[in-house]
Amino acid sequence: MNPDPRNIRIIAKREYLARIRSKGFWISTFALPFLMGAWIVIPSLVATKTKSSQRLAVVDLTNKEVAPALVEKLDQWAERTAQQVSFEIELIAPEEDTEALRSRLDERILEGDIQAWVWIDEPGLVDNTVEYHAESLTNFITQGTLERALSSVVRRTRLEDEGYDAEVIGALTRSVQLETVRVSEEGSTADAGIGGFVLAIALFMVLYMTTLIYGNQVMLGVLEEKSSRVVEVLVATIRPLELMLGKLIGIGLIGLTQLAIWVSAALLLTAPALVGLTAAMPENVQIPTLTVGLVAHFLGLFILGYFFYATFYAMVGSAFNNPQEAQQLASLAVVWLVLPWIFFMPILNDPDSTLAVVTSLIPLFTPTLMMLRIAVKTPPAWQIFLGYALTIALCFGMTWLCARIYRVGILMYGKKPTLKELWRWIRYA
Amino acid sequence: MHPSIELQQLRKAYGDFLAVDNISLSVEPGQVYGLLGPNGAGKTTTIRMLMDIIAPDRGRVLFFGQPRTRSELRRVGYLPEERGLYRKMTVLDHLIFLGELRGLSRRQAIAAIDTYLERVELTEWRKSKVEELSKGMQQKIQLVGTILHDPDIVVLDEPFSGLDPINQGLFKEILSEFKGRGKTILFSTHVMEQAEKLCDAIGLIARGKVVLDGDLAEIKKSFGRNSYRLVASGDLSQIKSIPGIEDCVEHDHFARILLASDTNGSQVLRRLVEFLDVEEFQSEEPDLVEIFVAAVRKAGLVTDETDPRQ
Repeated sequence: MNPDPRNIRIIAKREYLARIRSKGFWISTFALPFLMGAWIVIPSLVATKTKSSQRLAVVDLTNKEVAPALVEKLDQWAERTAQQVSFEIELIAPEEDTEALRSRLDERILEGDIQAWVWIDEPGLVDNTVEYHAESLTNFITQGTLERALSSVVRRTRLEDEGYDAEVIGALTRSVQLETVRVSEEGSTADAGIGGFVLAIALFMVLYMTTLIYGNQVMLGVLEEKSSRVVEVLVATIRPLELMLGKLIGIGLIGLTQLAIWVSAALLLTAPALVGLTAAMPENVQIPTLTVGLVAHFLGLFILGYFFYATFYAMVGSAFNNPQEAQQLASLAVVWLVLPWIFFMPILNDPDSTLAVVTSLIPLFTPTLMMLRIAVKTPPAWQIFLGYALTIALCFGMTWLCARIYRVGILMYGKKPTLKELWRWIRYA
Repeated sequence: MHPSIELQQLRKAYGDFLAVDNISLSVEPGQVYGLLGPNGAGKTTTIRMLMDIIAPDRGRVLFFGQPRTRSELRRVGYLPEERGLYRKMTVLDHLIFLGELRGLSRRQAIAAIDTYLERVELTEWRKSKVEELSKGMQQKIQLVGTILHDPDIVVLDEPFSGLDPINQGLFKEILSEFKGRGKTILFSTHVMEQAEKLCDAIGLIARGKVVLDGDLAEIKKSFGRNSYRLVASGDLSQIKSIPGIEDCVEHDHFARILLASDTNGSQVLRRLVEFLDVEEFQSEEPDLVEIFVAAVRKAGLVTDETDPRQ
């Protein structure tokens, strides 16, 4: 017999109202964007605000003024760009007794007077090496900066030694950059690529997180109904399937509400900035925009993905007695949700590859990976259609299977069931 | 008139364990029916099949002479043994929710809730969250939730377990009012004394089978004609070997003797005085526990495990 829509509506309404009235919902609605923002912003803030400065002693045994040129170069960089490292350079005059000088510099490092010393000599320049001595050698950013500055200085010195004009050579050997243009049916537009990339990551992340969060909510809701013993009162008037569907819909609507709040807040907050950005951009450059089609696919795939995983979570919740017991089986869902991350980069790089087509058609991955492909480059219509069809089919299968376990599970208390017992529950008529 | 509830040959097995074995019984309109038996006898499974919570392997359930349909379950108020409420909801919201599930409109539900909350003296708690209520108050709310849609049939599984004496009294009062309005009530219990005071008819269940059922007064009368109370000293174990004695149940200070229908008291007394020092021997109605034990023995089911006094 078919489930009664009225019963499903009453259950969904209760689930929705109970959650929207809870403090937890509003706290998570406001806290999550802040946390995510902090997650992205703080490391880069930390990186830019905490400039490391290194006291460096430079010994230049060549007669080519490499060291003064190096100081000049580094000062120039420090002024022009927000370099993460700055150097405080002390030029050391070369001595006859090089061994004594070297050991004296080592001592100064150990005393903490300087952090590193650099040894530039003729044989080194022939071999393309400059010695760098320090207590810690893991400061790759510092070493990289130093290396680039040295290379630049040494290259210039060599050119001038051979009688070339360094300025001319520099101008002639400048590298070329790709200017990317995205071709689509709506016409070709210049596109930095990075916009699409960010959008794809954002959609992928949101799908992944919401499915996980709301799936988990469904599981906890079912467990609560079991532990508070309210469930049998309910299934006396409505069918377990109606209860399960009502719950999925109610919590799913909460998810959509939260997404709507986030999206509109994001639009409101970033709209002024976007308008400013558009005005400043050259005419044919397009900022990645959320097209209607993209939003529709996002919603469609969110609903499918949520429905599939939430059904599984409802089943897990019904089979066990507390969250601790349920976690083991629930982690199975997490595994399937995390797996698409492996294919993330390969698909981004080649959205038409066999790997991309096959993985995005596996129903468990379709919600996230198909979203990724659609965001990067619209796949053929038949693939999108097939992806939806397979996922919908699997959703029905999942609902059928989970409803059977759910029906038995919600009335079972006490012992934690084994997989064998779960299988027997499926076969109970 | 059709019976309000009719169970026809219900059977339910869990693997090798036969929880309910061919149970048939019927409850007349306006009756209070007690489903009695020890824990594990199959009462809850029977009631769950009655409520379509679990499907029977065989057999069917009729309401008012018609095969039960889903929508008719809304005419039933059900209080399960495992019962509870959503802790975070307010009393009013929760009861509205339960009322709506049983087909009431919001307005109808609120009217019924106000009436019943006053009846159980919890009106001032209607806006409180369930978790703020004491256990006894929550039990009253559960009862209100069971009957607020004015069901024609009320089914309660172990309704009195865990209730304090005051709430037990209140529950019984409200159920009596329901009966007075012509409603049918079926409840299960493992405490025979409760059934004895409340029921019009009973069904005794042991090991998934009905061992005895029917009108309580008639059952007691039929047992009463052949039931004697014996106070005596001597070797009581020999009593059972006397022809015409169907059963003998030993209590602390007396023994209950049940006679076969073709035997009379004076014949038996003559045999008893031969080996016992008899102080007292009188005809007396047995209580339900004794009837139950006798019925179980008569049905050939082992008594040790099913003795309700254990």
